[in-house]
Amino acid sequence: MTADSVEPIIRISHAWKFFGELTALNDVSLDVMPGEKVVICGPSGSGKSTLLRSINRLETVDKGTIIVDGQDVNSPDNDINKIRQELGMVFQSFNLFPHKTVLQNLTMAPMRLRKIPRAEAESRALELLKKVGISDKANVFPAMLSGGQQQRVAIARALAMNPKIMLFDEPTSALDPEMIGEVLDVMVTLAREGMTMVCVTHEMGFAREVADRIIFMDHGQVLEENAPQEFFGAPKHPRLQKFLNQIL
Amino acid sequence: MLKKIVLTLAALLVTANVAFAEKTIVVAQDATWPPMEFVDANKNLVGFSVDYTDAMAKEAGFKIVHKNVAWDGIFAGLESGSYDAIVSSVSITDERKNAMDFTAPYYEVRQALVVPKTTNVTKLDEMKGKTLGGQISTTGYFTIKKTAGVTAKSYDEIGLAMEDLFNGRIDGVVCDDPVAASYALQQEQYAAKMKIAFVIETQEKEFYGIAVKKGNKEVLDLLNKGIAAVKAKGIDKQLREKWIGR
Amino acid sequence: MTNEPQNVRIVITDGAIIPDPKERRIVTAWSISFVGALAALVYLCASRPEPYWRLLQFLPDGIAVTFKVTVLSILCSIPIGLITGLGRLSRNRLINLVASTYVEVVRGIPLLVQLFYIYYALGRFLKVPDLLAAIIALSVCYGAYMGEVFRAGIDSISKGQTEAARSLGFNRAETMFMVILPQAWRTILPPVGNEFIAMLKDTSLVSIIAVADILRRGREFASESFLYFETYTMVALIYLLITLFLSKGVSIMESRLNYYDRR
Repeated sequence: MTADSVEPIIRISHAWKFFGELTALNDVSLDVMPGEKVVICGPSGSGKSTLLRSINRLETVDKGTIIVDGQDVNSPDNDINKIRQELGMVFQSFNLFPHKTVLQNLTMAPMRLRKIPRAEAESRALELLKKVGISDKANVFPAMLSGGQQQRVAIARALAMNPKIMLFDEPTSALDPEMIGEVLDVMVTLAREGMTMVCVTHEMGFAREVADRIIFMDHGQVLEENAPQEFFGAPKHPRLQKFLNQIL
Repeated sequence: MLKKIVLTLAALLVTANVAFAEKTIVVAQDATWPPMEFVDANKNLVGFSVDYTDAMAKEAGFKIVHKNVAWDGIFAGLESGSYDAIVSSVSITDERKNAMDFTAPYYEVRQALVVPKTTNVTKLDEMKGKTLGGQISTTGYFTIKKTAGVTAKSYDEIGLAMEDLFNGRIDGVVCDDPVAASYALQQEQYAAKMKIAFVIETQEKEFYGIAVKKGNKEVLDLLNKGIAAVKAKGIDKQLREKWIGR
Repeated sequence: MTNEPQNVRIVITDGAIIPDPKERRIVTAWSISFVGALAALVYLCASRPEPYWRLLQFLPDGIAVTFKVTVLSILCSIPIGLITGLGRLSRNRLINLVASTYVEVVRGIPLLVQLFYIYYALGRFLKVPDLLAAIIALSVCYGAYMGEVFRAGIDSISKGQTEAARSLGFNRAETMFMVILPQAWRTILPPVGNEFIAMLKDTSLVSIIAVADILRRGREFASESFLYFETYTMVALIYLLITLFLSKGVSIMESRLNYYDRR
């Protein structure tokens, strides 16, 4: 292997996914390089969430292959639970565990899956909470937090597993407008630190600021794929032009 | 409808004519009560009371016609004159005496202890420490409850108590002796495993009598004559031996 | 925003009204029933010791039997219910079929008939003692009902919880036992409590297989004394007091389980 031929950390080739009559993924191929930040956008029902969720096999593709860090996620030979440990995921609806405190939300997986001793897991969790700006809420239950705080805890929970890649599935869509900023700030910080990120989002400002590449999807197809400057400055596909007109 | 009534009346007239020569008494029996009155495998009405009434008729010189009638409404049928008497294990009670006339008792009901064939007992006291079953609110169950040192178990139906005895879950069952006989002697499966150990003397006596319509003196006298004759000849003891066993 | 569907109530069989743990008022259906029943009991025993006081002394061993049957049946029916509920949710077709068939069969046969069947019909081959037969019948029957409660309770937890746990790398079992069930308990407990109370009432059916529970003790008393009114008044009051006690207990447990929802 030569220096200039760095392998992609995510390699999606010719992925197809059908939901009954609907074609959610229509021959989608996408490579993500280590450290790269990719933003996926598109109208609702375009298949962008399905694409993201198929990376950690929350959806299984009907055709095509998805290789993460050299491992085929759909192969029965590979332990999907091990692969998922390297793929942090942040959901639109936070999905914090309501019966656990904030701290326990962060320590549960590392202690159980990475066999990290409690003391170590807790000190690392507190560090992460500090990083996302809510270290004072470590011992409360998620129900006592605002939406923005919950989403920041959710990001910290994913980071607690020390993943190689972070997947964001519309992380700000369920938030009140005044809380979007605090979550995006955390994501920008994360991007600056060099985390490999795949984000499905409508936050075009965020995309412009951190994305290496922006992907536009519609009807299950990737219609355009470009660096932010070209993506916003000179959109080629008419549907992307229309989409950008509506959204900006 | 009218036709039916006329025909019935005609039939009654014919009966009355025959009675003129030798009195015929129609008796109602609910033939679901072995061994007292029941239908055998050949669909014949048989049992203790059937033999008993036949013997009465023979001794006292009248004719008996047996009629199988369901227990529900058996008393109403007597009232309406569908038959002359009821011979169907009817216990003589004060309440019933107000509504109908009874002959002298033809059967004394006693409590019997049914046990597995392998158990040898002669007195209830010997069952101390054992569990005995009986049907709730019957003399049998009350008898067990009064016996010191015996665990009493009450059942909704005597059949369920017998089944538990058969399956070895309890040590004995106390019930009316005809009932005991019907299970321990008549029923093949039970008879192979169970027996009547003894009859228990109780203070309150219970008797079966033949019921006739209030004031029907002619039939009552004739029946009493028959009962007296049967008892005088000791036929009742033979029949008890035949159907009840002791 | 919360992820849970709120106030999910699953009622499979009729139990009793479980008081709302958040209810702060003093005069409620529960308190009226409880105070009323207790007052009636005390009044009757005090004003007419014969037969009421004698009855109260006659019944305790029946109460003990009723309790024994209820508690043991509950203890057996919970694991049966959990296994059945998980079986019904299983993706494995065979497991699913077995669990579903069990539920179908049991729910299709009245408990009374099941009791008769286990005790008398199977009695020819298996000499199951009466108490054990009662416990088996109740556990098997309520295990199936409980299975539906567990299934519904597990179903009521949003899919997002499963996805969050799985995406962290937890396997199916870890997800179920560490994330889903601890939350499902909250939804499951009220109907499970309801089932317990329904079961306690249904234990009165075991008197049919000659188990000397409260009802049979009462019937024995009545058949001897002919005091039907007095006996069944007492039996009804005792059942009512016990079920009211239980429903309060369930209510308290329910409020304990809601700890993480308080703001």
